[in-house]
Amino acid sequence: MYVPDFEYHAPNTVAEACAILAELGDRATVLAGGTDVLHKMKVGKLTPEHLVSLKNLDELREIREEPGRVVIGALASHNQIYNSRLLQRRYLSLPLAAHTMASNQICNLGTVGGNIVNGVPSADLPPILIALDASIRLTSARGERTLPLEDFFYGSAQTRIEPGEILTEISIPDQQTTGSTYMKFGLRRSGALAVAAAAVSVQVSGDTLHGVRIVLASAAPTVLRVTAAERSLIGRRIDDELLTEAGNFAAQASRPRDSIRGSAEYRKNLVGVLTKRALRKAIEEGHA
Amino acid sequence: MSDNHSVIGRSVPRIDGPEKVSGAAKYTGDLKFPNMLYGKILTSPHAHARILSIDTSEAERLPGVKAVITHKDVPTLKYGLSPARWDESIFCSDKVRFVGDKVAAVACLDEDTCYKALKLIKVEYEVLPAVLDFLHAMDEGQPQVHEEYARNINTEIHQEFGDVEKALAEAHHVRTDTFVGQRTYQSPIEPHSAISMWDGGKLTIYSSTQSPHYFQHYIAREFDMPMGDVRIIKPYLGGGFGGKLEPTGLEFAGAVLAKLTGRPVRTFYDRAEMFAHNRGRHAQYMEITTGVDKNGKILAAKANFLMDGGAYTSLGIASAYYAGALLPLTYEFDNYQFDMFRVYTNLPACGAQRGHGAPQPKYAFESHLDNVAADLGIDPMDIRIINARRPNTVTPNDFRVNSCKIKECLERVRVMSDWDEKKKNLPLGRGIGVATGSFVTGAGYPIYRTDLPHAAAFIKVCEDGTAATLYTGSVDIGQGSDTVLCQMAAEAMGYRYEQMKIVAADTEITPLDFGAYASRQTYMSGAAVKQAGEEVKRQVLEMASVMLGLPAEDLDCADGQIFSKSRPGKSLSFEEVARKHFVLRGPLLGRGSYTPPKLGGNFKGAAVGTSPAYSFGAQVGEVAIDEETGEITVVGIWDVHDCGKVINPRLLHGQVHGALYMGMGEAVWEEVLFDDKGRIKNAELANYRLLTAVDMPPITSEVVDSYEPSGPWGVKEVGEGATNPTLGMFSNAIFDAMGVRVNSLPLSYEKVWRALKEKREREEDEARRKPEARRAEAPLETDGAMPVYANPS
Amino acid sequence: MAQAITDKDGVKRYLITLNVNGDAHTVLVKGNAILTNVLRDQLDLTGTKKGCELGDCGSCTVLLDGKPVDSCLVLAVEADGRQITTIEGVAANGRLDEIQQSMINHAAVQCGYCTPGMVLSAKALLTRNPNPSEQEVREAISGNLCRCTGYVHIVEAVMATAQGRVTPDDH
Repeated sequence: MYVPDFEYHAPNTVAEACAILAELGDRATVLAGGTDVLHKMKVGKLTPEHLVSLKNLDELREIREEPGRVVIGALASHNQIYNSRLLQRRYLSLPLAAHTMASNQICNLGTVGGNIVNGVPSADLPPILIALDASIRLTSARGERTLPLEDFFYGSAQTRIEPGEILTEISIPDQQTTGSTYMKFGLRRSGALAVAAAAVSVQVSGDTLHGVRIVLASAAPTVLRVTAAERSLIGRRIDDELLTEAGNFAAQASRPRDSIRGSAEYRKNLVGVLTKRALRKAIEEGHA
Repeated sequence: MSDNHSVIGRSVPRIDGPEKVSGAAKYTGDLKFPNMLYGKILTSPHAHARILSIDTSEAERLPGVKAVITHKDVPTLKYGLSPARWDESIFCSDKVRFVGDKVAAVACLDEDTCYKALKLIKVEYEVLPAVLDFLHAMDEGQPQVHEEYARNINTEIHQEFGDVEKALAEAHHVRTDTFVGQRTYQSPIEPHSAISMWDGGKLTIYSSTQSPHYFQHYIAREFDMPMGDVRIIKPYLGGGFGGKLEPTGLEFAGAVLAKLTGRPVRTFYDRAEMFAHNRGRHAQYMEITTGVDKNGKILAAKANFLMDGGAYTSLGIASAYYAGALLPLTYEFDNYQFDMFRVYTNLPACGAQRGHGAPQPKYAFESHLDNVAADLGIDPMDIRIINARRPNTVTPNDFRVNSCKIKECLERVRVMSDWDEKKKNLPLGRGIGVATGSFVTGAGYPIYRTDLPHAAAFIKVCEDGTAATLYTGSVDIGQGSDTVLCQMAAEAMGYRYEQMKIVAADTEITPLDFGAYASRQTYMSGAAVKQAGEEVKRQVLEMASVMLGLPAEDLDCADGQIFSKSRPGKSLSFEEVARKHFVLRGPLLGRGSYTPPKLGGNFKGAAVGTSPAYSFGAQVGEVAIDEETGEITVVGIWDVHDCGKVINPRLLHGQVHGALYMGMGEAVWEEVLFDDKGRIKNAELANYRLLTAVDMPPITSEVVDSYEPSGPWGVKEVGEGATNPTLGMFSNAIFDAMGVRVNSLPLSYEKVWRALKEKREREEDEARRKPEARRAEAPLETDGAMPVYANPS
Repeated sequence: MAQAITDKDGVKRYLITLNVNGDAHTVLVKGNAILTNVLRDQLDLTGTKKGCELGDCGSCTVLLDGKPVDSCLVLAVEADGRQITTIEGVAANGRLDEIQQSMINHAAVQCGYCTPGMVLSAKALLTRNPNPSEQEVREAISGNLCRCTGYVHIVEAVMATAQGRVTPDDH
């Protein structure tokens, strides 16, 4: 296979990277782990004139705790997330989601930032991050802005990142949730894209749900938060019937299409099953 | 079996192990020659189109491009692997017949330039309607894939043995089922490549080939050269499974590019191009009818099949015959009818994939047999034991079976898998299934008509006796033939495996062998090697007789020591005798060859499926089904094989594991998918979904004590036979778990889910209408998205 | 940023240093050069195989700063200055590593095409986790597709290595 020619840039600071991107506009593509960008270039889906590599921006690899939040640098690899003691302690569901992503080799290369910016509905990290109410920071020569990750996606492979912007960090706020999980259904047990997936976070006290977020992957052209299903749960006593009902709401709200991984009908069914099971797991097992 | 062998029967380490684990082993694509160019083939983006014009001028002007060729620059003689149908050209001249058909090629200074040059070749096409659905390929009004083959019929077979209608009329129970098998692809991990070079009038090609001999034969034919001027060399080869059995455009176009440029040219396929070249398993529609007596004894069977051949014949005529020919092997019945059409479509050509022709028909037959057993209330294990073939019998289609321990395999796997206990106690959602398989130990006849022996070998002992080199045309594609044949050579010579070397699969240096297909090498190449080794041993004993002053008949040689059978203590080392032989009598050489006996009956197609011996095996698998998602968890698989004398147990079980792995993928996970333009939708490994290490269940593999009287030391095949039961075994385990039968491959999660959903809906519907009459536990027939079928006959 | 050299046709190449198996190699590569190809074609380290070129099969696995990666998805320029271990660097002074010997002993090698990547994935696992469970072994090699073995003997070979059950000729 063949990677088309391009001009290569490897800035040493975020500011330098922003300056280069400001100058090149949409002629440039940002290169992080490369597992998506180089793949697309090899199969002819992407032919950027310029590649701006972030490899020298080590400060974006850090995962740290700050007052009120946990901050994940956009260049943290999937395995870095999986192996992070901090994340394992605070939100184990996120490391476990990172682990379901792909093979070990890909998890060593691929980055959380790339997984988000790629914008595909089958990406594994955005659903659980949205369930954990994460926000992202976008940096450009014009400055910085922060927005909820939930608002970032608006179509298949379409996001609100603007030319010249770099996703620099993801932050998860301290929260009242008592549990979260990401449940993915693939057609084999490693290296499989989700046929459908559901991430949830819950706030349980006693036998009642006081808060819940339900976010689906591979269920619509974008990552999809299903607020109707969430509303159906709030304040209600937890039992199997309730969870099944929430699953049905999620299935109804989903808009999957027929694909080589499964028919729309099958995927809708999976959404319902996974939502129900994810809720049960988050309720029973906390952030796992 | 207790025996006094010192080399065979032991799990010696592979002779190529150190080179392979250290990265030193060179595969074709790893080789580099001075001045070498890189070549690539331009293929058709359309399934069916007329070529109006080809303009190569822009590509020719690109710096780094050394040659661009089209049909005008190459021989026009049609080729193929089955001599009964030569229908493929090096490059298409009039029209293209599938997405991936060969149109032109380039030779360039580097790989990147090849890809750039291909984009600059302008081909003007007139797109034609395409035949994409094999079930309708023979219908009136369908486009013709090849003008000369009416109704797109590539192969038509009608065979009848005994009196099927009479037997069915007399049967206690007659049942018909239909099944559909999918296209799968061999997917060796090494992509094909070839390096072609000329030295005057002589052509040398290094290639990832399973059969240097057939390559040599067909390449010489295509270029109208004497075979002696074509040399084919197989370096290390990264898996074939049938997909590398025939010469491809890489060799044909590569040879022309090398000729035109006067430089070595390495041609290669990337992964997507491998899928397009294909030659994988045929998709197949299978209707099976059997009649049984009240005990479940099969009285007659009818197989009515239709196969999607793709755009060319490849080895597909043999595949078509094999599909029916091997069905009467594991069970005994006298009346058998087989009808088959193999049709052309505008899709990649299909050919021989591990278990050639047999796994899908076996899936259909084994699923059907479980349905019959359920109808009669017989345990699936019992119905197989009742019908199991006995040794020294002849099948209705005239295959002579010598050794056969299928019954012992079934009885053993029954115990190993804890069948009887599980059959009674597994809860809904858990199931256990059994199926059998059998396969040829080498084909009784060569692919093209010739009276040449099928295998030959010679052995050269080093002057000082410290090493011996086996020269064989046999082809190690990973299955371990180099190791096993060296064990056999050492055993026959009375020598040590550790001192063996091997030179294999180079048509100029090594003697003829047809290569790695039809599970033939341990038996056939082994027979030639044994003969060569025995010739060495005879000469060594004669020399030792002179040296010791003892009659040669009193001497024997084992493990590198010559000793007197009657006088303990009288001995010589192999080395000193071999050295003396060289000094007094010249080079110490042994030669051997093997030709199978005349086999088979006298009807049309009688040759396909003949073999000097057949392997047998039985598999049990246990599955757990997630009712809400259809997800299948494989709890365990047990395989018991009758494969004759085992030369290297560890390598043998490795073959079973690998064959099972391929069968498992085909059963549930693998399928080549096409869009409505005939383009492959999943021509990459991410979406073709080879199973990973975390997908594999525990596998227990055993052999029964077996000896095949016709084979060297009693050997038979194993490498393909273990694929044959797997698909049916999965079908039956799922049936057992859920009480629903999915009638098409792959038995995907979605199809299982859908079958369960339909069962549930049917039951609810029934309960609603007549709640009092609701039957409790009758298994329901459902099918996962079965296409509508127009009967071809 | 690596030094760039532009030729008379305006093609830019980068002077990079790859530390491969302990040897520093300074090579000139185009920006689009893939690490697999540079290792194979420029350094003649053909033990790193090309199977799918899209990160699906793991044949091209190398260790980048000790971690297994698919070298087909790494630009050579991105590996400038980093430590790379290829299969050729696993055996020290011609002596096979235990995992390599174990692969031979257990007949975990068939066609051998996946073997280099498999060895490197297993080696990396055993380095960071000397006592893995069977499930951890399976996960660690799940990015390395093998079409020959069903992984049965491979898993056995890795487990035997972890448990110190490798002998020079254990057959």
